[in-house]
Amino acid sequence: MNKEMKLSEYLNKSKKIQVDKFTKKIRIAVLSSFTVNGLAETLCVKCAENKINGLTYTAEYNQYNQEIINTDSDLYKFSPDVTFLIIDSRTILGNHFYSPYSLSLLERKKFIETKVSEIINLMIKFVKNSKSKLIISNFVIPNYSPYGIYETKTEYGLQEMINDLNTQLANYIKKEPSVFLYDFNGFVSNFGENNVFNFKQFHFGDIRIALDFIPYFSHELMSYIKPILGINRKCIVLDLDNTLWGGIVGEEGFNGIKLDTTPPGNAFLEFQQNLLALNKRGIILAINSKNNHDDGFQVIRDHPNMVLREENFACFKINWDDKVSNMIEIANELNIGLDSMIFFDDDPVNREYMKKSLPEVLTIDIPNDPSEYSRILHSINDLNVLKITGEDENRSKMYAQERKRTDLQKSSIDINKFLNQLDIKIQITKADDFTIPRISQLTLKTNQFNLTTKRYQEEDIRDFTKSKDMIVECVHVEDKFGDSGITGVWIIKKSSKEEWYLDTFLLSCRVIGREIEKGILGSVIEKAKLEGVKKIKAQYIPTKKNKPCENFLSDCGFKIQDDYYIYNIENNAIKMPVHLTIKTQ
Amino acid sequence: MTSNKLYQLIADVFNINISDINDQSSPESIEDWDSFSGYMLLDELESKFNVKFSLEEVTDVKNVADIKQHLQNHGVNLDG
Repeated sequence: MNKEMKLSEYLNKSKKIQVDKFTKKIRIAVLSSFTVNGLAETLCVKCAENKINGLTYTAEYNQYNQEIINTDSDLYKFSPDVTFLIIDSRTILGNHFYSPYSLSLLERKKFIETKVSEIINLMIKFVKNSKSKLIISNFVIPNYSPYGIYETKTEYGLQEMINDLNTQLANYIKKEPSVFLYDFNGFVSNFGENNVFNFKQFHFGDIRIALDFIPYFSHELMSYIKPILGINRKCIVLDLDNTLWGGIVGEEGFNGIKLDTTPPGNAFLEFQQNLLALNKRGIILAINSKNNHDDGFQVIRDHPNMVLREENFACFKINWDDKVSNMIEIANELNIGLDSMIFFDDDPVNREYMKKSLPEVLTIDIPNDPSEYSRILHSINDLNVLKITGEDENRSKMYAQERKRTDLQKSSIDINKFLNQLDIKIQITKADDFTIPRISQLTLKTNQFNLTTKRYQEEDIRDFTKSKDMIVECVHVEDKFGDSGITGVWIIKKSSKEEWYLDTFLLSCRVIGREIEKGILGSVIEKAKLEGVKKIKAQYIPTKKNKPCENFLSDCGFKIQDDYYIYNIENNAIKMPVHLTIKTQ
Repeated sequence: MTSNKLYQLIADVFNINISDINDQSSPESIEDWDSFSGYMLLDELESKFNVKFSLEEVTDVKNVADIKQHLQNHGVNLDG
C-alpha cells in the first residue's frame, strides 16, 4: 500500500475539487455508530482522483437505526447510490463488550442471535426502501479479553461471539444481491488494532478509527465505489527482467536469472503466484518488455521454475520498440481501453515515460525491492468487480483462444471464408436470475460497441424483466475455438403496439467483427414483425469510445429521422449473415 | 524548529496564510478551527514532533500559545 496523505491534506484538497469536468457521479451515504469526521471529504477527493463527482451524506452520529427505519429520513431523501453502514463492536455489544461473562453461555448465544437479527432487520428495511447498494461492515474481534489466556479455552467467549456474529451476518448477506459485507475486522488486523483504535482519540471525540487511518479506510471503501460505477481495470501489463524474474536474461543468460526458492528468486516466484491467481479469476496478463524476443520466450516456455506460462498471457510485446507504442498495440489487439490497463515495471524511467505519455494507464509505483511486489499488487483496488461471473473465470482462456483466431484470420485472405471457418453458434435467451448479474455487468462495462451506453445495476435489470412492456435479452456466443459466454445484451421498450424502442444494444469487444450484431438485430426485427410491430426506433448516442458502432444502424437499413434511427419493418427485408447458426429460446 | 515553522504547519492544516497566525490565534479568529480540526492539528503535530500529548493537554488547548507551551513541555525547542 502506498503511503497515504495526512487527513488534513485531504480536507484541504476536498475544498478545491472541481466537479464540473466529471461525467461520472455517485451519491454516497455514510451511517456510523461513531465519529467519522473527514471520511466524506476524503472519499470525495478519492472520487475526484478517479474522475468521479462524489456527493456525500453523513448521517448524524449513531442515528443509523432511526435513519433506516424512518422512511422519511434524510438518508432516503438523499437517495444514495451506495450506503456504508459502519457499526463497531463496542456499540453492538454495549456493556457486554466489557464483561461478556456476566451472561451465561446460553444467554451469550441468545444475545448474539438477537444482534444478528437486529442488523438483518435493518438490512431488509433498507433494501425495501432504497435502490442503493448497501455495504455493512463486520465487527472487529478485540485482541484483549478479560479472561486473558483462558479466553481461547472458554466456550463461546468474547472473541468467538464476535466471530459468530460475523459469520452469521456474512451468510445472510451472501444471499442478498445488493448488500455486501465489508471486512472491517480484516482492515483492523491488517493495520493493527493498536494503531487503528486510539484510546485518546476515542476519549476525546468518540473517534474509533484513528485520524491517520481514515485515508486508508477510504481507500478500501473506494473498492466498492469504483466497480459500482463500472470502473475497473482488466489487464496487467508486465515487464520481464527484474519484474517477473531477477536479473537480465540477455546478460545473465537463461541459467543466470534469479527464479527459485532462495532469496531473491523466491520474491519473484511469490509475485508470479499472485499474478497467476488473478489471471485465473479473469484478469488478463500481457508482456511489454525490452528484450530479444527469443530470450524472453525461452524463459516463459522452458524455465523450470516459471509459474506463468505462454497460455497465461493474452499478448506478448517482447521487442526493442518503444514501450508506449507497445502499450497502445496491446490495447488495440486485446480490444480494451488504455483505462483498463495497469503497467508494472521495475524501471522508474519506463514508468515515468508511461505516466507522462499515457496517463489513462495506471502505472504502479514500486520500490526497488522485489519482496515488496506482492504486497503492492494486493493493495491495488482497481481490479474489483461486484460479482465474479463464469465469464470472468474463463476470460484468460478466451483470450488465448482469441490469439489463435487472430492467427487463423491472418492466414485466410477472404473475410467471409474466415467467418465461415469459425463455425459460430449464437444462442439468444431472455434475462433470468442466472444471467441478470452478467447483463448488468455488460451494461456497466461495455464502451465500444454500445449504441446508447446506458448503465444499469442488477436491480434495474430485474425491474425491467418484471415489466410487460420490456424485453431484456442476451446472447451466448461460441465457435470452434471455444466458448465466449454471454457477450451481447439488448433492451427493448415497447412504446406502443406498433413501435419498439431499442433502449440498449451492446456487444462485448470480445466478439466484435464477426457480424454477430447483425444476426442479433435481425432476430429482434423478426420477432417484432411476428408481434405486428410496424417500426423500430433506435438511437446512437456518441461517446468518446463508441465509434465502432457509429454506422451500424444505417448499415442495417435504419434511416435517420431527427435524433433517432427508424426501421420500417414493412418496407425492409432483413439480410441475415449466413455464417451464423442462431438458436432462440 | 522555529515559531515560524510551527505557524506554517498550522497554516497548512487550516488552509490559511501564515500571516494570519499569531500566538493569540484561536477558534474565535480562525474560521476552520473547530473541536475536530483542532484535534487533528494536535494529532499531526504529535507525529511531526514525535511527542504524545495527554488527553488533558489536548482538551486544554485554547490558542496557539497553549500549543507552543505544550510542545515546549515535551522538550520541543521553538526558539532554534
